[in-house]
Amino acid sequence: MRRALGIAVALAAGPALADETRQLDAHEHGVGTLNIAIEADSVAMEFTAPGADIVGFEYQAESDEDLAAIETAKTLLQAPLDLFTIPDAADCTIAEVDVELEGNAHHEEHDGHDHADHGHDDHDDAHDHDHTEAHEGHAEFHATYLLECENVTEVSQITFAYFDAFPNAREVEVQLISETGARAYEVTRAAPVLDLER
Amino acid sequence: MIARLAIASLFARALTVGMTILAIALSVALYLGVEKIRTGAKASFADTISGTDLIVGARSGSVQLLLYSVFRIGNATNNVTWESYQDIAARPEVEWIVPISLGDSHRQFRVMGTTPAFFEHYRYRRGQNLLVEDGALIADLFDAVIGADVAETLGYAVGDPIVVAHGIASFTEHDDLPFRVAGVLEKTGTPVDRTVIVSIEAIEAIHVDWRRGARIPGQSTPEAVLRDMDLTPQAITAALVGVQSPLQTFALQRAINEYREEPLLAILPGVALQELWGIVGIAETALVAISAMVVLTALIGMMATLFSSLNERRREMAILRAVGAGPGTILGLLVTEAMLMAASGAVLGMAIVYAVLGVARAQIDSAFGLWLPIDPPTLQELWVVLAVLGAGGIVSLLPAIRAYRMSVADGMMVRS
Repeated sequence: MRRALGIAVALAAGPALADETRQLDAHEHGVGTLNIAIEADSVAMEFTAPGADIVGFEYQAESDEDLAAIETAKTLLQAPLDLFTIPDAADCTIAEVDVELEGNAHHEEHDGHDHADHGHDDHDDAHDHDHTEAHEGHAEFHATYLLECENVTEVSQITFAYFDAFPNAREVEVQLISETGARAYEVTRAAPVLDLER
Repeated sequence: MIARLAIASLFARALTVGMTILAIALSVALYLGVEKIRTGAKASFADTISGTDLIVGARSGSVQLLLYSVFRIGNATNNVTWESYQDIAARPEVEWIVPISLGDSHRQFRVMGTTPAFFEHYRYRRGQNLLVEDGALIADLFDAVIGADVAETLGYAVGDPIVVAHGIASFTEHDDLPFRVAGVLEKTGTPVDRTVIVSIEAIEAIHVDWRRGARIPGQSTPEAVLRDMDLTPQAITAALVGVQSPLQTFALQRAINEYREEPLLAILPGVALQELWGIVGIAETALVAISAMVVLTALIGMMATLFSSLNERRREMAILRAVGAGPGTILGLLVTEAMLMAASGAVLGMAIVYAVLGVARAQIDSAFGLWLPIDPPTLQELWVVLAVLGAGGIVSLLPAIRAYRMSVADGMMVRS
């Protein structure tokens, strides 16, 4: 009994008692979320989309084809200004980009989400083990961007070229925080332009 | 020429015309009134909280959390433990955090326990601070600051005692430990007006002798002992949070939502409000649609009056034709008359709205906590007037065309 507990704690690799709690995030195929926060000249964006939207599958990629699809998707996600087009007048440049693929099964199992950062073939045994859980769960792409804009007031609309790049995506739920407070919007494939009334 | 004739003709039938105008006026007043209340309610809701980046409470729904923490509508599903509160307060993203403890009441008003920071950080109507109208803020353990409506409704002034009841709408009172009114806040038009604010330690203090919702019989800790006790609360209802930088808001929100030790929920007040409008929106649309239908009904009523007036005006039309008026003049005359009626109806309707607002504004405010501003007509309201005018012209076309076609033949014939 005591040994079993020890293993459990070791596996959790997080707060010792935390693995008693079971929670799972909501996950809806076709719907991504984009959080935008604007302060001074900085525009911070966090983008999350189900693997199904981006690459069309959510299982652990093993075939070369699937791995290549993930790599292509990551490359696309690394260019936020091509996916979420901001008017040229705003003159935004990318300061930081971070793109990851996360299994969504049980968070504590992949705290480091190292599998996403590494290439394809350096999956060692222990690593694969880690993901037995993720196989049954969902996979999500997470991207964070930081933009620096010369004329932040010109960030008045965002065109979601994202829908052209990823044909499986249907909708993005947008939350925007600016000086005037927080607002929510829904951007769909049918209406891919977001007007920010600020 | 036509206008003069139309006006004279309307005055000749003052009673019927007057009734038609009144019907249109009332319908327009209803429509504009509904619009005013709708936008006023929306604005007053949106103005209730500003400057707060996140609201934290037990995990439930974002609308529910917003309603109980800010609007004092409904109750919390769970409390937030003081430990979790301190964990959040210690996070680097947090600039300020204000705990809120709800659950007790005074008469029909809610009692809220909080810290002095509440008065500093709570903002309404685009960043306005709470101001003390009379007295001072909470200085003593048993000091209470009351909202403007509480003071007015119950006739309280600074120095009056207040006995807090246990729970909401309950008969058991914390009568052994009365509070003293330390200050009265200026009117804000927010739920703060209907709140009794005490320190969070005081909430703890009045519950020292209570276990499981009932007072322990015969036990009454004297005030002096209470003052020396450690009155750190076990739990709070919710917390208002301000972040250092908007850029960190989402990260903090996620950290709280994924906080493993306790199921918590952090919401963006603006987004939760929008969600609330999404729910209320259906009823709103229905209300607007109904009042638009009433306007339409009044206009159709006008059309009916015009049709029936054609009969009694057969002779008039024929004489007009006989003295040289073309059929176009007849058509123009009837359309002008109708549009004049619609216009006077719309203007009168608008006047009614403003008159009612002027008279009943204070009552609406005290009864529903809804402060409706008296503003010059908005562009949208002017469009409504124009639409009524246009619709009046269009519905009058049918009787006008009938008169146009029949004026000579019909009017010249002697009937009966």
